[in-house]
Parts: sequence; C-alpha cells; structure tokens
Amino acid sequence: MTTFLLVLKIIAIVLVVFFVLTFTVYFFNLDMKLTAAIEPWLLKHYDKIDRDQHL
Amino acid sequence: MAKQIGADRLGDFYKEGSRVRKRREWRGFRDTMYDYSRWLWIMMTLGKFVMKPRNVKAMFRYRWMANYLAVPMMVDRHTQGLRGEYLRICHTEQDLVIKDVANLLDSLFRGDRRIGNDKKFSDKVVLVDENEMTAVMMGFPDLKVLSRETPSTYVSVLLNQRAACHYIDVAQEFGLAGDVCPMPEAEAGVSIDDDAPILGACAIQCNTTCDGSLLGNGVISQRLEKENGIPVFQLAAPLRHREDDVQDYAAQEIRNAIAFVEKHTGHKWNWDAYFECAKRVNYFTKCRQEWLEMNRTPYPQVFGSNLALYTETNYMAICGRIPAFEKADAKITKLARQAYAKKKMAAKEYRHRAIVWGVQSHYYMDFLVWLLNCWGIVPLTDMLSMVSTKELVTEDTPENREQAIYDMAWLTENMIMRNRTHGGYKVLLDELWEFVEMFNADMVILWEHMSCKALDGMHGMFEEKARERGIPLVWVSHDLFDPRIISRQGVRDQINSFMRTVMQEEPIDPSLEVLPDDQSW
Repeated sequence: MTTFLLVLKIIAIVLVVFFVLTFTVYFFNLDMKLTAAIEPWLLKHYDKIDRDQHL
Repeated sequence: MAKQIGADRLGDFYKEGSRVRKRREWRGFRDTMYDYSRWLWIMMTLGKFVMKPRNVKAMFRYRWMANYLAVPMMVDRHTQGLRGEYLRICHTEQDLVIKDVANLLDSLFRGDRRIGNDKKFSDKVVLVDENEMTAVMMGFPDLKVLSRETPSTYVSVLLNQRAACHYIDVAQEFGLAGDVCPMPEAEAGVSIDDDAPILGACAIQCNTTCDGSLLGNGVISQRLEKENGIPVFQLAAPLRHREDDVQDYAAQEIRNAIAFVEKHTGHKWNWDAYFECAKRVNYFTKCRQEWLEMNRTPYPQVFGSNLALYTETNYMAICGRIPAFEKADAKITKLARQAYAKKKMAAKEYRHRAIVWGVQSHYYMDFLVWLLNCWGIVPLTDMLSMVSTKELVTEDTPENREQAIYDMAWLTENMIMRNRTHGGYKVLLDELWEFVEMFNADMVILWEHMSCKALDGMHGMFEEKARERGIPLVWVSHDLFDPRIISRQGVRDQINSFMRTVMQEEPIDPSLEVLPDDQSW
C-alpha cells in the first residue's frame, strides 16, 4: 500500500511539473521565441548549400 | 485576460520588430486549457515528425522547411480572440490540416531521391499540382497522391508571410516575368532553385487558371521530364466550364488522365474506391451547404478563415480520399449546430455582414479574423468557398460509371478559384450580387490581387454594379504571395480608411488598427 501511494505521489509530482513547465512555455510563447532565434541560423545554412540552379 | 469574447485588446500581444507575439491569450480557464491541450498535441505531432532522421535531413536540405518552425503561430493567428465552439471548430480544422501536411511531408521525403530514396514507395507516387483538383485520383486507393508545391509554397506562405520571397526572386533572376501571379512564379522558383523533392512514377499538371500558372508548369515539367525522367500529363480542362458543349471534351481529358496513370504506375482504376470517395465528397458538400445556410441567418457559425482554409483543403486537395476529413466535417457541423441553437456570436459585436470576393491575400489569411475583431465585419463567405454543390453519383452501375467521368470532369473544371475567375461574366460578377442578396450582406470586400489579370479586368464593372445596388464596396489590393509589394498593414490600412471615412465608424478594438507585424512570420 505504501509503495502504491509512493508511486502515485511520484506520478502526481511528474504530472504537475510537466504541466507547470509546458504551460509556462505555452503561455509565454517560449516555443515560438526559441524557433524565431533558430531561423536566422537555418537561413544562413541554406545559403551555403550547392544547388543546380537553372531553368 | 478574460473569458468574455472581445475583452482583450488583441493588438497588445504584438511586439515591434519581433517575429512572434509576447504571449498567448488567456481565454478563461476552460478555453485556455482546451487551447493548451491542442498546443500540446501539435507539439507531439511535430515531435513525432522530427523523430525520423530522414525528416531532419530534409529540414537541413530544403529552405522552405524553415517555415515549419512557425506551425504553432499559424494556429494562434487563426484562433485569435476565439472562444467556445468557434475555437473548437478552428482547432478541429487546423489540427487535421497540420496532421495531413505532416503526413504529406513524411511521404515526400520517404520517396525523395535525395533523402529517403525508397524506390518502391516512389513508384507508387503520382505528383499533382498544388492548385489542382485531385478528383482524377479518387479511384486509385493504392497510389500516393502527393503535391510538392503544397508544402513548399502554399502552406509555407500560410506559416510565414515572407516564405515565397526568395523563390520569387530566383524565378525573376532567371528572366521570368515579374508581373505574373507570384504563386506559380514561386513554385517555378522552387524548381529553378533545385529545392523540390524528386520522386514519383508520374505527374499530372493542370491548366489551372492563368498565364503565370502555365508558365510555372512549363518550367517545372521540363525539369521533371527531361532531368528526373518523370513523365507529366497535362490535364487541360476547359475554361468555359458552364457551357454544355465543352463537357464531352472535359470528360475525355479525365479518361486520358486515368489511362496515363494506369500506364505509368501499373495500377488499375478501382470503381469501388471511387464511389466511396464520391460519398465523402457528397457528405462534405452537404455539411458545407448547412454551414452556408446558417451564415444566411443573423447567427453565422462557420465563416471567415474557418470556412475558407478548410474548404480549400477538403474540397480540392482531399476530394473524399481521406476518411478523417469526414469525421471532422461531422464534428464541425455538430459544434456549429450547438452554437447556432444557443444563438452564439464569435465577436462581441457584429456590425456588418460582408461577402469577401476575389482571390485573397495568402500572406494574410488571418485577415478575416482581424476584420471581425477590429471592425465587427463578419466575412459570411468568400469567393474561394463558393464552389460546386453538385451531388456526385455514388451507386456503381454502368450508366453511373459513365456519369462519374463527367462528375470528375465537372469537379476539375470547377476547382477552387478557376470556377470563378474563368467561365464567363456570370460566375465572377453576376453571382456575387446573387450571394449578396442570398446572405443578406450589407458590404462587399473585394480583394484586388494585382497580378491576377483575370480579375483586374473587371474592376469597373464591379463598381458599377455596387453603385446600382447601393452596396458599399471596398477594394483591398495585395500581391498574393509577396508582402513586399503591399504589406499586411497596407492591407489593413485600406479597410481602416474606408471604415473611418466612408462608413464613419470607430473600430471595436482600436489596438488592432495598426499592428507592428511587418517582421512577423
């Protein structure tokens, strides 16, 4: 019984931490702020790729 | 931060010079938790997508893949200010479209000679245009119907307003005319820039709607056929689609296209599969008609971008081939009925009932949500959503098999945009005023896609008819895929000036009148 309650407690803590973290990312739009920071780096990378450009 | 519709100043979420908004909306506990759960689902979908090494490889190979960083923001733009059923309708549509596009990308990269190089899979792929009715593939259930242009340009511009600029510039650097529609020009640019996945047993291109489209298809098919060894069929559907004397020719084009696919894939046409798809097409038509019927009343439910984006996807790109869309049709209809029964409204005030006509600005698809939130203008329906309502035959009989060929031809002739921009004076001009009356509209918002010659020639006639009927008409110029010509604020300013000077009104949410979203995705 004690082990069962302990497991339940751990699951509850994990869920709460998961919710707090992901909801913070969601609400403050942190996911988009991060990807906006990645984009310029990706665009520079694309400029370096050799391409067979022609009509 | 409030549960009530219209309680927030939505313009305050924007930040000068930023790609993204400061934060997401608080919509009250229930709606915020719902929106958060859908956001989690989107993140999981994206997570599953990048778990596959070939998709990561593609991310670093194709420039247009960078736009997919902005997927959650696209959803945020369309759900702006929405609550209750409207929020759920929007997510039902957007989330399904996201899943469908993720599947499309995954399939493209699986067969792509540069990335997954799965030859067996590639041999089952038939490439189609982005702007093409896929009716002709309804009877090939074992083949994969993939469009390279849909993810590289069409969806990309929905995600990022500047997504097509690089490809438009590439096309023009190689001497293509700068005054054609930037959509096919960008698609040609992707091909010229060597940035399109290479796969497929064969391809079908359609004489979509204009000079730009024919130009773009020429460039793309040349590379496909001469370099990649992928044969291309040109499905030349008649433009004067309301005339009886073109229907036999249109049907023959469908027979030829089917024979071409059978020849190059070794797969045979399956009538059982076709009639199953036809039933789903009919079901979507029935649902769409019910939504439009509600929009004729004082309590419209599925309108604006909720109607436009979903119709474009479901009617043309899906065409009954994917059962998941039938479930979404049913869910949207249920939500709409629920909201209608309670006489719910999507904004705190409805001031005007508008018909939106012409080809809309693709880099500003959420303009329809802005119209509602800023000025209380309800975009009841739009030109691209007013497509065929004809019921297809669904019973497998020898006569119906013949009729089915004509039904597919009819759908191909009446694909989105082409059914209005071509086909004569009646479909573009006269029927607009019939819809104004039918929907009890008091305003017409007329997109002027400046590179669309099919529409620009009718400018004076639209104005003449509006004056005759005493209906306020506002022109909104844009350049479809290129916000450098007319920015999103440039689009908004045309409405702002009209509403303040002609209509003598003040905005419902003044914070939305001028937005610093020039650098935004």
